[in-house]
Amino acid sequence: MTQDRTLRRLVRRETHSSRALPSIIVASILLLVFLWLAAESVLWLLNDRPLLASPAHIRQWLVGLPGSTVPAGLTAAGVGLGILGLLLLGVAVGKGRRARRALASDRIATVVDDNVIAAAVSSTSRLAAGLAPGQVTTTVGGRSVRVQVRPTSGVSLDLASIKTALDGELAAYALDRQVTGKVRVANEGAVGQ
Amino acid sequence: MRRTNRALNRILLAILGIILLGAGAAVIAAGTLPGVADTWTTIGSNLTDQVRQLASTAPIPGPARSWWPVAGIGVLLLGAGLSAAWLASQGGGRTPRLAERSEGADGRTVVDVGLISAAVQDALSANRNVLATSVSAWESRQGTALRLRMEARHGSSPRELADTAEQLVRQIDSWLGHPVPVLVRITSGARTRTSGAQRAR
Repeated sequence: MTQDRTLRRLVRRETHSSRALPSIIVASILLLVFLWLAAESVLWLLNDRPLLASPAHIRQWLVGLPGSTVPAGLTAAGVGLGILGLLLLGVAVGKGRRARRALASDRIATVVDDNVIAAAVSSTSRLAAGLAPGQVTTTVGGRSVRVQVRPTSGVSLDLASIKTALDGELAAYALDRQVTGKVRVANEGAVGQ
Repeated sequence: MRRTNRALNRILLAILGIILLGAGAAVIAAGTLPGVADTWTTIGSNLTDQVRQLASTAPIPGPARSWWPVAGIGVLLLGAGLSAAWLASQGGGRTPRLAERSEGADGRTVVDVGLISAAVQDALSANRNVLATSVSAWESRQGTALRLRMEARHGSSPRELADTAEQLVRQIDSWLGHPVPVLVRITSGARTRTSGAQRAR
């Protein structure tokens, strides 16, 4: 049972983002701003020349901001800040799913990249219909696997066998999130395959 | 597999996002509503007066004149320290040893990841569907876990690869004597792009 929980935790951590990159960026910016403000304050107390702007200047600028800036510019800056805030909030609250998913197995936790699944599905579908490489492309989305087939011109396409191969393949993977397979046949055919 | 504190990352990012949203809303209001611009200025000058009053209390000799600016600098440095701590909490947890057992006075036994890595490479070298493997061990709250990364040939079935990996791990289990949690990652990489696709059989 504990083994099971451990494996589930491993899968969860592998298929979801840790938000390390945004955290590193934000923490670095915060660190720089705090250090800069501290340095400016020390220089100001010692009556030394400021690095960029002394705390007194920063205060004056902040208080006089609405008076010294055109309203449109102020609004635009506010919108920019708001978008940045929404972005951070979205990263924090969002699901953070990565393009990979878990495959059922008893002893180990297995996580497969979506593009590996797509390549495998393309290859099986192609072999099932007897098509040439490049005539089948697959896209793996959140809950669907879409197979796009470009049939050979003048040769009838065995759509049922592709569908069976696709369903069999997806059933064999037993992915942790249910996916539905869809086959789409392109209008134009490939010539001379 | 890394020991990043994910809950902390989400909470801190959410807090900073809310602060930025609030600041953005205040700036937009100051830009669009004429009354808010005046309120902004009055609040600003009021705060300035209060800070000046505060700074005249608790005086100390020397250039600083008061304890309050010194305390302010202390708070800024504390903020810098906390940011550095957040930065340092990202990642980590990789370990070169998979298992370790102390046998009292007789010494201790250490199983290195390199041993498993060599065994896995040896076992999979004949497998045409596996282009490259890498093995690493990571410390987690539940003990040390093994991570096996397999680079799949273009078009090879992940089910077959997962079954191969499972078989391999069972062999490692019987070899080590006690099972460790294993994560298998089946990916595509540089080798996938440069090697050809699987041949039709």
